Amino acid sequence: MINFLWDNMFKRRKDSQVEFLSKNFFFKNLNPVDLKKVTQFIHVRHYRPGELLFRQNEIGIGMYFILKGRIDIFTESNPNGDKTESLFITRLEAGDHMGEIALIEDNHRRTASAKATMETTVLGLFQPDLKRLLESYPDIGARLLLQIAKVLGRRLSETAIKITSLKKQVERIKG
Amino acid sequence: MNHSIQENRLKRLEIYKLIIFLSIITSGLVILLKVDNMMLSFLLAFVIKYSLSPIINLFERRGISTEKSTLIVFAIAFTAFCILIYWVSPFISAQIKAFQSEVPRYIEGTKSLIFDIESKIEVLINTSIELNLGAQAEGLMISWTKSIFEDLPNFLSKSLTTLLLAPFFAYFLLKDGRSISKWLLDLVPNSFFELVLSLQHQINDQMGQFIRARLLEATIVGVLVWGGLSLIGFPFSHLLAIFAALTNLIPYLGPVIGAIPAIIIALINGVSIFPVIGVYAFAQLMDMLFIIPLVVAKIVNLHPITVVIAIIIGAQLMGVVGMLVSIPAASVIKVTAHSVYHHLINFRA
Repeated sequence: MINFLWDNMFKRRKDSQVEFLSKNFFFKNLNPVDLKKVTQFIHVRHYRPGELLFRQNEIGIGMYFILKGRIDIFTESNPNGDKTESLFITRLEAGDHMGEIALIEDNHRRTASAKATMETTVLGLFQPDLKRLLESYPDIGARLLLQIAKVLGRRLSETAIKITSLKKQVERIKG
Repeated sequence: MNHSIQENRLKRLEIYKLIIFLSIITSGLVILLKVDNMMLSFLLAFVIKYSLSPIINLFERRGISTEKSTLIVFAIAFTAFCILIYWVSPFISAQIKAFQSEVPRYIEGTKSLIFDIESKIEVLINTSIELNLGAQAEGLMISWTKSIFEDLPNFLSKSLTTLLLAPFFAYFLLKDGRSISKWLLDLVPNSFFELVLSLQHQINDQMGQFIRARLLEATIVGVLVWGGLSLIGFPFSHLLAIFAALTNLIPYLGPVIGAIPAIIIALINGVSIFPVIGVYAFAQLMDMLFIIPLVVAKIVNLHPITVVIAIIIGAQLMGVVGMLVSIPAASVIKVTAHSVYHHLINFRA
């Protein structure tokens, strides 16, 4: 009886994770069987309103997918000092993700802080677990890495467009 | 005002979570240390786990589930172990019996060897000394051999619990290892989560590499000693090779301890000790030239002084088992201290 309840509890939790991941761009190329394997390497974390997920300038080792709740992203003028000025950047909701560069880059420092503004549940994927996933299931890991590369590539081209536009503005002001 | 009340509440919650997490870890350690056979069973279980996990990974890569891979690898390992025991045990038991009958002669021979050395020293320094080391050594050796041969069946029956528990624990560590570590990590407060996760993986990686490298090193040294001794027709080659392999697990002192019985046997039998020393030296040379640089050196980067101090502390606390686990324990402490320091200095920069 206990085993039955236990299995069902975890099965339901895993099934909801699989369903959530299947809708995410990063896991688009994976089928439910693969996603079930991926859930072995993913951590579920719960945050209370006002709790920080990470702070700007801290070293980060992974990325988060918001399963439920809301997270504010902001920068701080003096994150470790007494007097800080916060600059709100964006609000992330269920289905959004953040911190993908920390998943790839070693000793990556977070460029902004993230704070839960209500009861929030996230799924975390971290560098050491990604390495384990690549060791145990290389094909799944490779397909996931390809999607991460696509997201980072898109970010890079967006940044390049922004830089070009800023340069043009500077030229215009100078000229 | 409200903001600071909320912050204090969150901090309190984090502290409660940390206390619960540390209490669970401490209770686990107390159970390991206090319950009979538990520590040794778990140590052996981790050795089995780390030895078999790369093979299980190979099966997983072929798309076989973790449960099935663990079951298949365990079945293969168990069969291989049984075949090995079936194949080797007749030689080993024959050599133990032969050695047992030769023991009085070797004790007498060692006693007279020490007596000879003593009298040579007396001649050299030109004074009479009353150390009587020969008689002391004889007493020690008689009690050792008596305890080894008389306590061996008793020891084996006592170890049966460990020998049964260790594979049982290892099986579940391999099958459910990820779920167990995830469950433990769930208890970690959010603000320490990334540090603890990173620490767990670093320790896991280092221990796995260390145990696999040491086992490989011991096996190669054992095979080389067995091959060399058999080649020169030396008696008890199986027993001496197993002894050399086991003592080789102890850094620095182990290889010396491993060679002593063979040298004593050679001296007592009146055969030249040079071929025997040559065999052990060749095994150590291969170890130093190929095995250590290729598989061991890069794994646990401890200073030789740290290694020796760790071995002494291990020996004082837990005897021979302490000597064997002292190096991995020292490297766990080093990795933990390094990561916590790195976290304090860099994570919160």
